[in-house]
Amino acid sequence: MESAQHMLRTGRRGTLFEFSMALRDLITSWHRRGLAWSLAWHDVVSRYRGSILGPFWITISMGLMVLGIGLLYARLFGISVAEFMPYVAMGIVFFGLMSGTINEGCDTFVHAANMLSQTALPMFTFVWRTVLRNLINLAHHAVIIISVIVIFGLWRVADPLLALGGLLLTVLNLSWISLLVGIASARFRDIPQFVMSVMQFAIFMTPVFWKPDAFPDRHAFLTLNPFYHMLTTIRAPLLGEQADGLSYIVLAIAAVLGWALTFSVFAVTRRRIVHYL
Amino acid sequence: MKPPEVSIAVTDLSLRFPVYGVDAKSLKKNLARVTVGGRLGSSNTGATEVTALSNISFSLRPGDRLGLIGHNGSGKTTLLRALSGAYEPDEGQIEVRGRIAALLDLSLGIDPSATGVDNIRLRGRIAGMSTKEIEDKMDEIATFSGLGPFLAMPMKTYSAGMQARLAFAVATAVEADVLLMDEWISVGDSEFKQLAHRRLLNLVERAGILVLASHDTELLRLYCNKVMRMEGGIASEVKDIRRIDELLAAA
Repeated sequence: MESAQHMLRTGRRGTLFEFSMALRDLITSWHRRGLAWSLAWHDVVSRYRGSILGPFWITISMGLMVLGIGLLYARLFGISVAEFMPYVAMGIVFFGLMSGTINEGCDTFVHAANMLSQTALPMFTFVWRTVLRNLINLAHHAVIIISVIVIFGLWRVADPLLALGGLLLTVLNLSWISLLVGIASARFRDIPQFVMSVMQFAIFMTPVFWKPDAFPDRHAFLTLNPFYHMLTTIRAPLLGEQADGLSYIVLAIAAVLGWALTFSVFAVTRRRIVHYL
Repeated sequence: MKPPEVSIAVTDLSLRFPVYGVDAKSLKKNLARVTVGGRLGSSNTGATEVTALSNISFSLRPGDRLGLIGHNGSGKTTLLRALSGAYEPDEGQIEVRGRIAALLDLSLGIDPSATGVDNIRLRGRIAGMSTKEIEDKMDEIATFSGLGPFLAMPMKTYSAGMQARLAFAVATAVEADVLLMDEWISVGDSEFKQLAHRRLLNLVERAGILVLASHDTELLRLYCNKVMRMEGGIASEVKDIRRIDELLAAA
């Protein structure tokens, strides 16, 4: 723990200094990434302690939803089940990652109040804890994805590497959103409710359960929805389709601008966050 | 590898808590002169502020074992938390060289539904130990806690004393140069107290620097060789422990 050997804490020394301290927090969290992993793993284990199926309960409930909606909507929309079921399965699972990371982001600092107020642990550790916890959950739900890929023969056309790239871009964006709502929720306790409403709204506004075929390409309804871009860059390659290049550009720009904004907010509020709690 | 020089240097440290969502304006005048708690005031952003520490300066060298005395809310715990790196100073600076172990709260990182062994691992990770270090120390921690087969049971089945034993065993297993302790070391039954006492002395000897906040003057005489009195966020000078009565008399 070279970082723990020498600790220097000072009053504010100008904006540049605040940014360098925020950067040091980020770097320390990287050195102690094992801790973030341990905490995330422990969260998953302790949440489902004593339950035999554990996180697979969520997988089962998702699976049921996939089955129900897949069959029902395919009929309603007049689309073949083979086409619609994998589509909706991936939609539900990956949207679960998005809403989970963002909703739980609200609790990142609030739940860590005890630890933050008496240790010098980097604050980013808790951001990674939230993100990693949701990725662990996703790994469980991957059963559904793999099932539909195998059952509906998508492995012949799927491009998992490209989907992984989309997932990476998505997680890059989710993590700054998660941190931003985490800071905001620590300060203003109305934010978690607000975020939850937005995410509930977003699941219906995003093509999770429905296909955007009715819209012309690049309709504002889709291009202005960040979740559409995230979802399509992961889902399309798995379905053997090509995601619009625009989505990759939007996600890359959003990641850069979003992180710049969020990191600035973090740098300015960092020393105050523990007092918000 | 030569161990780095252990030291604590605090210069002109001031720390204010913004309290959000509470309007203390009407209470402020009445509360300003009480002995308990820091001073209340308003920041320029309109949030109520509690001045928890103001203009504190002191420095400690290896072998210094500082006792903190003072009323409830005089800033002892806040000072410990600032030394641990959790609270950032508003003014001044804190410089600590050496590995810090803050034993401020026994329940830190304890998950009641997890087993004793799992809690040892988790707490050890939070304290900065690697997985290997923890496994190396597991036997020693388990033996010291004296919990035997109960370590495989969830913490929630433990009595308060058993929980304290485990937490104490893990918390004191760290290799630290600077030890920060709030008043909680008197845990467990009399047999355990003796064990704990010996372990603490051992740890203090290894640690180099100890800062201990307590109301118990006997305890302070036992562990410390220096003493500092806090009052309303203002610190007295650091005195020899034999002059603790002078500081108490000044109250």
